[in-house]
Amino acid sequence: MTVVLAHGLGGSTDLPIPFTYALIGASWALTVSFVVLAFAWRTPKLDPDSPGHRLPGWVTRFADAPITRNVLAAFGLVFAVWVALAAFFGPSESSENALPGVFYVLLWVGLVAVSLAFGPVWRVLSPVRTLHRSVCAVIGRSPTEGTARYRNSWGYWPAVAGLFAFVWLELASGDPGSVAAVRTWLLVYVVVTTAGAFTCGERWCERGDPFEVYSTLASRLSPLSRDRHDGRIVLRNPLDHLGSMPVRAGSVALMATLLGSTAFDSFSAFPWWARLVDGIGSPIGATLARTAGLLVFIGFVGVSFWVASRAAGGLRPEQRAALPGLLSHSLIPIIIGYVFAHYLTYLVEKGQATVILLADPMGRGWNPLGLGDAEVWYVLSEHPAATASIKVLCVLAGHVLGVIAAHDKSVRLLPRGHQLTGQLALLFTMVTYTFGGLYLLFGG
Amino acid sequence: MIRRLAGVVVVPAVVAALVSGCGGDSDTPATEDGVVIDVVIDGGSVTPSNERIEAAVGETVTVRIESDADDELHVHAVPEHSFEIHPGTQETQFSVDVPGQVAVELHDAGTTVATLLVRP
Repeated sequence: MTVVLAHGLGGSTDLPIPFTYALIGASWALTVSFVVLAFAWRTPKLDPDSPGHRLPGWVTRFADAPITRNVLAAFGLVFAVWVALAAFFGPSESSENALPGVFYVLLWVGLVAVSLAFGPVWRVLSPVRTLHRSVCAVIGRSPTEGTARYRNSWGYWPAVAGLFAFVWLELASGDPGSVAAVRTWLLVYVVVTTAGAFTCGERWCERGDPFEVYSTLASRLSPLSRDRHDGRIVLRNPLDHLGSMPVRAGSVALMATLLGSTAFDSFSAFPWWARLVDGIGSPIGATLARTAGLLVFIGFVGVSFWVASRAAGGLRPEQRAALPGLLSHSLIPIIIGYVFAHYLTYLVEKGQATVILLADPMGRGWNPLGLGDAEVWYVLSEHPAATASIKVLCVLAGHVLGVIAAHDKSVRLLPRGHQLTGQLALLFTMVTYTFGGLYLLFGG
Repeated sequence: MIRRLAGVVVVPAVVAALVSGCGGDSDTPATEDGVVIDVVIDGGSVTPSNERIEAAVGETVTVRIESDADDELHVHAVPEHSFEIHPGTQETQFSVDVPGQVAVELHDAGTTVATLLVRP
């Protein structure tokens, strides 16, 4: 039996944020929420169709040029092969193998950061998409075509299942850091996504690939987006862009899985919970307990959001039923804020360690560009007070953006006379998430 | 402020350990020569378990182990530290260079003995 390391990676984790920081963050969150409710605009202002600031034409031409796309796709493929070397021929000791770091840090957190900066990049980088597109070109089939139709009722559900499988491996399984476990997970992912792409066409990648859906979700908060009419790249208020996240079956489950799992990750460090799980004794029992905990956190987020977003008066049943999906985009900033609060040190410091390990994927003493001799710069860990401030600011920014997005959508959707009361439950729920998130970062 | 708050948390734990005199809370921080953790492995059960202990960067941490089995102690810190445990009484010392939460774990027993809150 082995000890479950945080995220399956060795080394230390962040210090809890000081209590005062959590308190200040919480009081600002509460204040801003009610200021938005009481004083903000009463007619909808946010619009995914707003023109934004158009960037020069060469930006769009460069981004869309086949050479740019092919170079990026080739980079994704080469990177995947390089990581596969580590996965199949690398050291079996997980602290010496780059695979867990690539999986838990670069893919899970790095993808969010890059998507936030540049837009939905997984669409371009995904090795499965590249493979599928290449085979389609050879056999003369359009990549959008498949042998079966991707049904609308499937929505995001395959991606939700994939994301749950990811967080389950990371937070609930017996040995998340094991190279064999991560390799098996990725093999299943590649097989399922490839099969989905060939069966249903690229729509599977768009809606069923967990990483692409996560990347698309994060990209909705990017300042860079496209004009919805002519496809030109524009600089636009991310809040305008946020509303363009397509609402499909499973939208709320998608948000709940991402937010609930990050919260559970913080919670796992609570001593009384760790003691309880250790006390079970059997590895299977401990895994079951962690699985149950993970499901409770995800379930709490999903159910509370679903109930709160429907708690508005003056609506017909079918209008009410549509509300959770239509409002679900307002959770995106809260998710992204909390992901950065929780994983920023991981991204910056374990990210460096992973890149250094990647220089020598098979443990044979390779040292391209002298990368293997580089040392990790613990810039965030060395400054716990600054790091704690950044974390609280991330949570707070996510909360404020989420509340504004929810407010604007509410005044768009709810009938007059119910617009303020109809938002109350949702506002209260968001404040609860943020208080909970800060409490978890404080470490109980 | 941070330190004072930590004091509030740690002091009652130490007092409780002194008063009860039992092996349940065997952390004894705040000694002159760094942090000392007493670990007992007896018939597969490990004390303490998931204890939170304050420490500082560069401070010497001593782990005294009384065991009836072979095991391995892992300290997930920068730098990482591990120590082979054999039946009998033994001790190991290390210090942590980078602030953070450091898990001190027994590999075979599969438990976290303590989490060190290492502050700058």
